[in-house]
Amino acid sequence: MTELVRVTSEEEGIAVITMADEANRNAFTAPFVDQLLGSLEEAAGDRDHRVILLQGLPDVWCAGAHQDLLLELAEGDLDAGDILLSKVLLDVPIPVIAAMEGHAVGGGLALALCCDVMIMARESRYGCSFMNMGFTPGMGITRLLGEAVGEYIAREMMFGGQMFRGSHFESWSGVNYVLRKEKVAWKALQLARRIAEKPRFALELLKGDLSIRRRQLFEETRTREAAMHRICFGRPETAERIRVSYTRPTREVADDS
Amino acid sequence: MPVPTKEEIIEIVKEHLMDNLEDMDEAEFDPDKSMKDMGANSLDIVEVVSCTMRDLKVKVPRAELSKLENVTQLVDLLHATALQKEEAA
Repeated sequence: MTELVRVTSEEEGIAVITMADEANRNAFTAPFVDQLLGSLEEAAGDRDHRVILLQGLPDVWCAGAHQDLLLELAEGDLDAGDILLSKVLLDVPIPVIAAMEGHAVGGGLALALCCDVMIMARESRYGCSFMNMGFTPGMGITRLLGEAVGEYIAREMMFGGQMFRGSHFESWSGVNYVLRKEKVAWKALQLARRIAEKPRFALELLKGDLSIRRRQLFEETRTREAAMHRICFGRPETAERIRVSYTRPTREVADDS
Repeated sequence: MPVPTKEEIIEIVKEHLMDNLEDMDEAEFDPDKSMKDMGANSLDIVEVVSCTMRDLKVKVPRAELSKLENVTQLVDLLHATALQKEEAA
């Protein structure tokens, strides 16, 4: 089996989950989602871990749903796998840090919104591409995005489908840090080390308590998001829009393979 | 709306490129270069091209856009698409 997501633990108390599907640019495919779910379970299940650092490729943190998966949705074969990803991440009992050196788009951004701490890169792009393809946002993003970037910016991003550079969120949004790309991993590790000093039982208690609101928001919205998706994906023009308008970040680092 | 000239389309691309790349200096703009060579990443380019197509009211499939090597080729393609659209109207 190709390793698309891996868990490593080089420092005490810190589990590092790396999304590394080079070929599909960390887009949600069935094997990728399976491995990510398995990695989250593995990382959180080890009682020695007190914090999870979720990182991606240098140029793409997560690209959201793969085009093939969206076309399957549009053709009526509804798969709840991506919704499950939000829920599982929100339910992780210890803090999760999203170290986003690369772009996070659509469901990829939703994934970040389900983490406890978000670190963006100034040069990378973060956006909600759902409406560009003719369907409403999912994975809880309709409620979770406003929490992170403010309600008005969230609406602009969801209606307009634009992808903002990380620098757009600097200084005023609820995002923890917006840094130069090369500083993201370093800062994430600093935060992880700080959290990893704390006892797991106390981290679990606090995480459980602090997550109540977001879990409620997610539960409130998942039914509505699913209902909107049934309408959008039921429209005959949606599949064509997905074919024409789907974009994903292409490889940007030198290919020395 | 009359079809803009290629020179006008270059200006539109430049405006969006500079709006999207905050560190870019106007003097660095060279239509014979690719946007990547001028410092844009793949999603910067998506934004610039989407905004330009929106201004011109044309739509070119992503697959065709991915073959382009520089801004001049993009401008040629957008100009030709705009002309085709006008002729068909």
